[in-house]
Amino acid sequence: MSQFTQPTLERPPMALAPTQAVSLNINGKAHTLQIAPWTTLLDALREYLDLTGTKKGCDHGQCGACTVLVDGKRINSCLSLAVMQEGSEIQTIEGLGSEDNLSPLQQAFIDHDAFQCGYCTPGQICSAQGLLNEGRATTEAEVRELMSGNLCRCGAYSNILSAVMEVLGNKGAEAAGSQATPKKESKEGARQWAAGAASQSVPPVEPAK
Amino acid sequence: MNHLDPQRHVRGESQYLDDVPTQQGTLFAAVFESPLAHGVLVNLDLSAALAAPGVVRILTADDIPGDNQIGGIVPDEPLLAHGHVHFRGQPVALVLARHEHQAHAALKLIKVDIEPLPIITDPRVAAAQGELIVPPRTFKIGDSAATWASCAHVFEGVAESGGQEHLYIETQGAYAFPTEMGGVRIISSTQGPTAVQRHTAHVLGLGMHQVEVDVTRLGGGFGGKEDQATPWGALAALGAYCTKKPVKLVLDRMADMRMTGKRHPYSSDFKIGLDKDLRIVAYEVTFFQNAGAAADLSPAVMERTLFHATNSYFVPNVTATAFSCRTNLPPNTAFRGFGGPQGMFVIESAIAKAAEELGIPACEIQRKNLLRENDLFSYRQPAEMCHAEQAWDTAAKEFDLAGTRAEVEQFNQQNKLQKKGLAVMPICFGISFTKTPMNQARALVHIYSDGSVGVSTGAVEMGQGVNTKIAHVAARTLGISVNRVKVESTNTTRVANTSPSAASATADLNGKATEMACAALRERLLRHACTEYTLNYEGLEIRDEQVLAAGVPAETDWEKLVSSAFWKRVALTENAHYATPDLHFDAATNQGHPFAYHVYGTAITTVTVDCLRGTYTVDALRIAHDFGQSFNEVIDRGQIEGGAVQGIGWMTMEEIAYNAEGRLLSNSLNSYKIPDIYAAPKVLDVHFLDTPGHPKAILRSKAVGEPPLMYGIGTYFALRDAVRAFQPRTALPFSAPMTPEKVLVSLYPEFSAAETGWNATAVGTPASIAS
Repeated sequence: MSQFTQPTLERPPMALAPTQAVSLNINGKAHTLQIAPWTTLLDALREYLDLTGTKKGCDHGQCGACTVLVDGKRINSCLSLAVMQEGSEIQTIEGLGSEDNLSPLQQAFIDHDAFQCGYCTPGQICSAQGLLNEGRATTEAEVRELMSGNLCRCGAYSNILSAVMEVLGNKGAEAAGSQATPKKESKEGARQWAAGAASQSVPPVEPAK
Repeated sequence: MNHLDPQRHVRGESQYLDDVPTQQGTLFAAVFESPLAHGVLVNLDLSAALAAPGVVRILTADDIPGDNQIGGIVPDEPLLAHGHVHFRGQPVALVLARHEHQAHAALKLIKVDIEPLPIITDPRVAAAQGELIVPPRTFKIGDSAATWASCAHVFEGVAESGGQEHLYIETQGAYAFPTEMGGVRIISSTQGPTAVQRHTAHVLGLGMHQVEVDVTRLGGGFGGKEDQATPWGALAALGAYCTKKPVKLVLDRMADMRMTGKRHPYSSDFKIGLDKDLRIVAYEVTFFQNAGAAADLSPAVMERTLFHATNSYFVPNVTATAFSCRTNLPPNTAFRGFGGPQGMFVIESAIAKAAEELGIPACEIQRKNLLRENDLFSYRQPAEMCHAEQAWDTAAKEFDLAGTRAEVEQFNQQNKLQKKGLAVMPICFGISFTKTPMNQARALVHIYSDGSVGVSTGAVEMGQGVNTKIAHVAARTLGISVNRVKVESTNTTRVANTSPSAASATADLNGKATEMACAALRERLLRHACTEYTLNYEGLEIRDEQVLAAGVPAETDWEKLVSSAFWKRVALTENAHYATPDLHFDAATNQGHPFAYHVYGTAITTVTVDCLRGTYTVDALRIAHDFGQSFNEVIDRGQIEGGAVQGIGWMTMEEIAYNAEGRLLSNSLNSYKIPDIYAAPKVLDVHFLDTPGHPKAILRSKAVGEPPLMYGIGTYFALRDAVRAFQPRTALPFSAPMTPEKVLVSLYPEFSAAETGWNATAVGTPASIAS
């Protein structure tokens, strides 16, 4: 790039905004940022930590693209100030699974083709992880209701639903200590259900009670 | 597999425009927009804003070195307002500051003095005043006027369809860098890299070779970034050019919604004539398209409305006229379907009107009038390889139309406060850019000496899976694993003069070019293998990376063959050009053969309306669709499901509202609702019709981007059916979207005042929420 063609700007004016040190624990790592106190968690992640997996869709808490997990609970990071999350465990899409070992949700989103453009995907996955953590949703209708804060304009909803239902089913099976169902089989079962395109006549994989 | 590397998407590693690491010295831009919808720009006072912290410069029309003009079809749109403002949200000045929040803060310090002029928001008012973007067009076949007297039934009416916000989750934006030779390099979130390049060059007074545009991927486009990514690319470039600093411009959500155009609202008059056997013998329609303040793509959108005015029906006598009306709203633009859905909504309304008046199900008229082989469209192209009846009959059989109807009727007899509705929606959509010269594409294919392959085309990946399709075409043609193929970013220096990724034609055009380039490379490599390994060319092929001579493995494989070809100085790069054959269209007579082929399908929609609340659910959307020979069923199914959901949104919950001053009221996701996972149909079945595909489709796999949107129209008519089950005698206007509020008003007409906005004809100006 042609840096030499660029005239230097005047010296930046004195620090405009009072900044303060904010300590954040993100994906298991401690960070201390020098930021203005009104910096949102979303901006702190994206602009000060280069964690750009968390997306800015509306900046008003209306689309869910910026969903992250704080102490395991899902929040819209655009509606929270970074300074409010000092002392919390923040988990972003970058901290879910690893390159060699994707989280079950990440794998299910791939298996079910639960995205098109991919922009809402990190938020969808974090939100679904929060939903799993909450442990409230068991049925397809409940998943729909509790995932309705995450918009996907490409409309990959039926695949998002089947991806979440698959993990929910497996988790339920694990929670019941059921070793009888190998993972692969339950996966195929979920696929079969997904092929019915969310048809209610074919029930989703039922979590063991 | 929808994506070449889906891991990146689920790990948040895929880079979109706003994720590009910021280069040192970058200035952040914010756009000052007109606060009034129409007026004379008397004075612009920038002094306070210029003195604001961090502000480096503020650019206005006077700073533009070239021509202040970005109109694509008609030169009627300045990049920055000069002299007049024509819509609220029109860019007037560009603030450049060191930090994004400083740029935005400075916007509030700009003072503008505008002398107001009259504001028009209604297309019919604009037409009455002669405010047209281009002269009206009429598509005509037969003689409808002479046919009315012989019709057994004639019905007339008005149909209104609303606009639609694209709401790509990634907002518009661009990042521009000055280059050494006095040009600019732009990373743009655009469906049309060449459009950004051409208009930027024009604005800066440079040759196109001085402007490089690069696109990795979009977080959704849907037509909204076809022409309307251009202003932001050109503004960022203007900033970079003037300051010799990198300039980043990303619109926030509300600015994006205020400043960019949407799907065109239409207000239309129809007249339909049927014979005693319910055959449609004549159809007359006049479309009033709300184009907004500048042409943008409106004339082309209007043309496609005319092409699809009769949807998948054969009508021997058609007179379809369209007016593109200039109003003081942001210029409306491409949106999946490109005017086609608006045209189809009107004829479906006409059929529904006829059916309601005659007291028969609409599907009796629909089925009887479906296109058959060699039927002529109004533009004289025959329906070839027509699958309209096959699609309908397959849907009716696979999804038990008769049984579903009986269930709906039974439910409605047993339930008083809940009613079900049913509608069948056949579609027929022409594939190709209707402007024939745009149907061309190029591919640049490199085989590297290690056997890996890089493919560059003009296709932009925006979630529709085109890169995956192109990689598969390359791998299949070369006989190698798809893992060896990388699809490069879309870049104007590698592939020039591209058409935008639009018109559902991207995979066809760029895939065909890729296929041609790879076929040429394959032949060259096999010729080389003949001489190198003394093999007979006949029967020589590459399959699964192995060279086969008459089916028997030869002593070389892909890697060895490529390496040996390189050392023997065989060219391992190929550039191919594809132009869809046999296309022609005369815009003077409105006749010709504009489409490579048509895509067919039929959807059956059932809904349940809560007759106390007006709320509803889409119970099932069952689709039989003509994919041809799909070579990636996962991608294609995703396009059908997503397109249908978007169509349902347009027809049901997505309501754009402007007030009389041209101010957008539905200006955020608070006041503009798009389908969420809860709103998507409970059952969404897609049946792959058994059709042979078309030779002009890539690997006989038909285009799939836009057609499914129109299945959503069925939801409107299913809701109408349910409302009529509750309130049989009500005279319902044909007015989409059918929001829950509108359903409620329709259920209880006696309680709703006559002047309620939804009953009035004004589109987008519901009186009840005008401020």
